[in-house]
Amino acid sequence: MNINRLIALSKSVQFGKILTSNARHATKEVTLPHRTIRTHARNLAYAKDLFLGKVNKAECFPYPEIGNEELEEINSFVAPVEKFFTEEVDSKRIDHEAKIPPETLNGLKELGLFGIQVPEEYGGLGLSNTMYARLGEIISLDGSIAVTLAAHQAIGLKGILIAGSEEQKAKYLPKLASGEHVAAFCLTEPGSGSDAASIQTKATLSEDRKTYLLNGSKIWISNGGFADLMTVFARTEVVGEDGVKKDKITAFIVERAFGGITSGKPEDKLGIRGSNTCEVSFDNCPVPVENVIGEVGGGFKVAMNILNSGRFSMGSAGSGMIKKLIEMTAEYAGSRKQFGKNLSEFGMIQEKFAVMAQNAFVMESMAYLTAGMMDRPGVPDCSLEAAMVKVFSSEGGWICVSEALQVLGGLGYTKNYPYERYLRDCRILLIFEGTNEILRMYIALTGMQYAGKILTGKIKEMKKGNVGVAFEMLGRKLGDALGRKVDLGLTGMDGVVHPGLADSAKKLEQNVAHFGSTVENLLYRYGKTIVEEQLILKRVADVLINLYAMTAVLSRSSRSISIGLRNHDHEVILYYTITILLIYNSPENQDENIKKIAREVLEKRTYVCSHPLDRTF
Amino acid sequence: MNCARCLLRLQSVGFLAPSVRAAVQHAALLQPATALSQITAHNTCGQALRRFHGSPGCYKSQPVPTDPGEEHEDRIKKDKSLITHDDLFERVAREAKTKATFNRVVDVFSKRDIRRRGHVEFIYAALKKMPEFGVERDLTVYNKLLDVFPKEVFVPRNFIQRMFNHYPRQQECGVQLLEQMENYGIMPNVESKVLIVQIFGDKSHPMRKYQRIMYWFPKFKHANPFPVPLQLPEDPVDLARLSLNRIANDLDAKVTVYQMPCTDISESGEEITFPHVVGIQSPDQMELLAKHNPNRPVFVEGPFPLWLRKICVYYYILRADPLPPEEKVEESYDPERCFDYPLQLDLDLDRDMGDDDSFDVEDVDEGPVFAMCMTSQGDQATLNQWISGLQETNPTLGRVPTLFRLEAGPRELQGVADPGPGYREEGEEEAETDIVVEEEHQCSQGVKQ
Repeated sequence: MNINRLIALSKSVQFGKILTSNARHATKEVTLPHRTIRTHARNLAYAKDLFLGKVNKAECFPYPEIGNEELEEINSFVAPVEKFFTEEVDSKRIDHEAKIPPETLNGLKELGLFGIQVPEEYGGLGLSNTMYARLGEIISLDGSIAVTLAAHQAIGLKGILIAGSEEQKAKYLPKLASGEHVAAFCLTEPGSGSDAASIQTKATLSEDRKTYLLNGSKIWISNGGFADLMTVFARTEVVGEDGVKKDKITAFIVERAFGGITSGKPEDKLGIRGSNTCEVSFDNCPVPVENVIGEVGGGFKVAMNILNSGRFSMGSAGSGMIKKLIEMTAEYAGSRKQFGKNLSEFGMIQEKFAVMAQNAFVMESMAYLTAGMMDRPGVPDCSLEAAMVKVFSSEGGWICVSEALQVLGGLGYTKNYPYERYLRDCRILLIFEGTNEILRMYIALTGMQYAGKILTGKIKEMKKGNVGVAFEMLGRKLGDALGRKVDLGLTGMDGVVHPGLADSAKKLEQNVAHFGSTVENLLYRYGKTIVEEQLILKRVADVLINLYAMTAVLSRSSRSISIGLRNHDHEVILYYTITILLIYNSPENQDENIKKIAREVLEKRTYVCSHPLDRTF
Repeated sequence: MNCARCLLRLQSVGFLAPSVRAAVQHAALLQPATALSQITAHNTCGQALRRFHGSPGCYKSQPVPTDPGEEHEDRIKKDKSLITHDDLFERVAREAKTKATFNRVVDVFSKRDIRRRGHVEFIYAALKKMPEFGVERDLTVYNKLLDVFPKEVFVPRNFIQRMFNHYPRQQECGVQLLEQMENYGIMPNVESKVLIVQIFGDKSHPMRKYQRIMYWFPKFKHANPFPVPLQLPEDPVDLARLSLNRIANDLDAKVTVYQMPCTDISESGEEITFPHVVGIQSPDQMELLAKHNPNRPVFVEGPFPLWLRKICVYYYILRADPLPPEEKVEESYDPERCFDYPLQLDLDLDRDMGDDDSFDVEDVDEGPVFAMCMTSQGDQATLNQWISGLQETNPTLGRVPTLFRLEAGPRELQGVADPGPGYREEGEEEAETDIVVEEEHQCSQGVKQ
C-alpha cells in the first residue's frame, strides 16, 4: 500500500532522464543570475529555494548534530521518561475510560514534561527543538497523552512564549511549566476553521478601558474541560490608520478564574479518547487589557506563528510510534508459524517490515533535519519544512499502522492487541494542526509566492517577446532535452555528499532542476491564478515533499557513512530503496534490498538504524 | 438466451410441421385475389410510405391496375376494405374505447378468417386507431397486432427470395408497426422478436428495424439527465412542486405552499375559488435577496411556460435587474483571512492566454432570480399573496419596491390547441391546463438501407 503510494508520488516526481553530458558552460549561465539572490538570502530556509531549482546546501548539509553535552543531557531526560511510559502508563485503560488518570498526569508533571520548551528561568526544561523532538518520540507512545501535552505546550502556551511580554511570561509561565496550570488554545469556532473572517467571538472594551468582555463560543478545544489558562482569539474593534473602524483579531490570555467560562461535554471521539476535547463558551468573561498577547489587532500573526511552529514534532512522534510498532509486530511475526514456517520468512510480510522501516527512517531524518534547522541561530522561517514533515509523517504513520495491523491479521483487529488503538489514535494526525489538504496548499503556495516574486520580471520579459530571455529559455529547454548535466554542487570538488552516494545525489540535483523549471512554467501559465488550480498545487506539494524527504535521507545517510555510525550499511540500503521510490521511476527491481532490510529488522526484532542524534566521537 | 431458445423451438416446429407450411403456401397462392385490394387500399390511406428498394421483378409480380374500368372497381373495393376495418373499430368504439375492446377487435379479425385476408389493411387501420383507444403505449397490444400476420408465409426460402424484396408490402407494414412503436418510445421485447422471426425470417427488413431499435433505444434510454416522470401527478400542487424543483435544480431549495386550492362560499352565496400558490426558494437566493439594494425595484414576471411531456404549466419569477457596473463592489482581499495559507498570491502575473478559458458565451449577466412560484391564477392579487409569504422569510423584501410585469402570456400558446384568439380571459387560464398536442407522427424513413 505504501509502496503504491510512494510509486504514485514518485511518478509525479518522475522527470526526464538525463542521458549525456554537454554544455557545462550552460549550467554556469543558468546559475549565474541567481547568485545575487543567494547572497541576500542567507537565512532563507531550504525548501523555498527548491522552487527556484536550487539546492541551498548550506542549510541541509551536513546533517545537523548536537554536541556531546547536549546529547548526554537529552539522554538523561529520555531514560526516565521512557521508563515512565513503559511502566506506568496504561494506554489501554486511558483509551477505555476516556480519561488520563491523575496519577499519570502527576507523573508527567514531575518529569517536567509540561514545560519542555519553557526557558529554565521560568521553571521549564528549556530544551531546544531537537531535544523536544527526541522526547516527542517517546511521548507519542500514548496518543492521548501526546495530544494533551501538545495542546498544552505546542499551541496552548506558545503564544505567551513567542509573543508575550516579560510580565506575562513571569506571571504565567512558571505555573504552566510545572503543570500546575494547564493551557489550551481556543481558535476554532463552529463557523470557522481556517477562515479568520468568520470568527464570531467578540471582545468589547469596557468603558473604563481596563477590561475586555469576551463573548462567544469555541469548539474542539483540546484540554478545554480542565484548562486553567487559555489563549483565546476574538474580534476587537480597531481604528485603522485611515481612521476607519475595523474588526481585527486579537489574542488574549484568559484565566478560567476570570469567570464567565463554561465548558461543554467532552466529545466522544474515534481515537485519542483520553484527551479532553470540548466546547468552551465565554459569557461576558472579563479580561484585563494587560492580558492581550502582542498588540491589539495583531492576533492573526500570533495565531499563524503558533500554528506554523507547532508542527515539526509530528515527524519524530510518528517515527517513535512506528519504531515501537516494528518491535511489537516483529515479535509476533517471529513466533507465529504457518505451514511450518515463521511469518517472518514470507516475502509479503517482509515487505511490510521494509515499508515500516523505510517510513520511520524518512520521518526521523526529516524531523531532526527540520528541528536542527530551527535550532540554528537567527530566526529561520522553517514553517514550510515543518508543514512538509507533518504531511509526510501523518500519512506515512497511517499507512504503517495499517500494515502492522495487517501482519497480525484478524488478531490485529481485536481489542486484545493495541493495534486498533494505534490505528484510531493516529488517524487524527492527518486532520489536526491544519488538515493535510490545507497544508499542501500552504506548502505549494508559499513556495510559489516566493518563486513568483523573483521570476516575475523574467516571465514578463518573456511574455513581452524579449528575444534574449526567450532564447535563454529555449536553450535551457533544449539542454534539458539533450540531457545536460545539472550540477548544483552536492558532489564533486566542494561536494557535501559522501562519494558513495554521489550517483543518487546527482539524480536529486536533476530532479531539483527540473522542479525549478516546472515551477517557472506553471508561473508562466497560471500566474497568480495558480491559487485556483488545487490539483496542480497538490502535485507541486507532493513533489516538494519528496524532494525534501530525499534531501533529508541523503544528508543523514551521508553523515552516517562519513562518521561511521553503527549499522550505517543498513541505512544505506534503506536510502537506496527510498531513493528509487521517491525520486525516479526506476525499472530496477528492489526485491533483494527489501528482503535484506526486512531480514535485519526481523533478526533483531527492532528498528536497526542508529538514532540520528547519535555521535561516534 | 430465452429468445434464442424460442427461435430454436420455432425452427423445429417449422420442420416438424410441413403440413402447416403446405397449407400456408396454399394460402399464399390464393393471395393474388386479395392483393389488388390490398395495394390500392394502402395507397389511398393517405400514408406516404417510403418503399424499399425492391427489385423490379418484385413489382412486376404485383398486379398493377391498367385500365380505368379496373381502377374504378378498385376504388369501390378500396372503400369497402377501408370501411370494413375502420368500421369494425368504429362499431366497437360506440361502447367503450378501451384496451379490452381493442383486443376484442383484433381477436375478431384473427378468428374470422384463417387466411387472415386483408391483414395488412387491418393492421394499418389498427395502428391508426391505437391512440383513440389509448393503447398506443402498450407493448402487448403491439405484439398482438404483430401476431395478426400469418406466420412462416413471408419467410424467404431460397437465396433468390432472400436477395430480392420478399413480400414487400407485408414487410413494409411490419416496419410501419415497429416505426409507430419507436415514435411512442416503446421498446420491443423478446416476444416481438420471436414473432418477427416467425413472420418475416431473421434477415428481413422488420428484423433489421427491430435490431436498429434495440441498438439505439438502450443507448438513449438515460440520455436525458433531467427525466420527466412518466406519470405526472394529477394534483396541481404536487405538479407545481415537481416542476418548481425541476426549474430550480437545487437540492437545497425549499418548496413552500402559500395557499392550498380550495373553494369557499361567501356570505352572498357566491362560490369563491382560491387558487393554489406554490413557491420555491433556495438559501442562496435568500442570501442574494438579503444583499439586494432596497432602492432598486424587484420584478414579478411571467407567466413563462414549462412543458412536462404533454402538459404545459406556467411559472412566475421574482427577479431584479443586473447591477450596473458602477455599483458592483469587488470583494477586497483581506490578507488576514486564512490562518493556514495565502488565499491570493501577491504577484503581478496573470494567466497565460493559452490557459485562459474564462470566456463563455453562456455566461450572460442577466440579473439575479430570487424566487419562483406557480399558481393557477396569475393575477396580481394572487401573486401578491406569494410576495407577502416571501416577506416572512425575507425581511428585506418588505422594503424593496415590487413591480408586477405580467404578460397576457399563454394566449398565443393556447392558440395551438384552441382555434381563435382570446379563447380564455387573461388571468383565467389554468396553469395545469392540459394541452394535448397532436403528436405528429411523420412517417420517417422506415428502413435506412
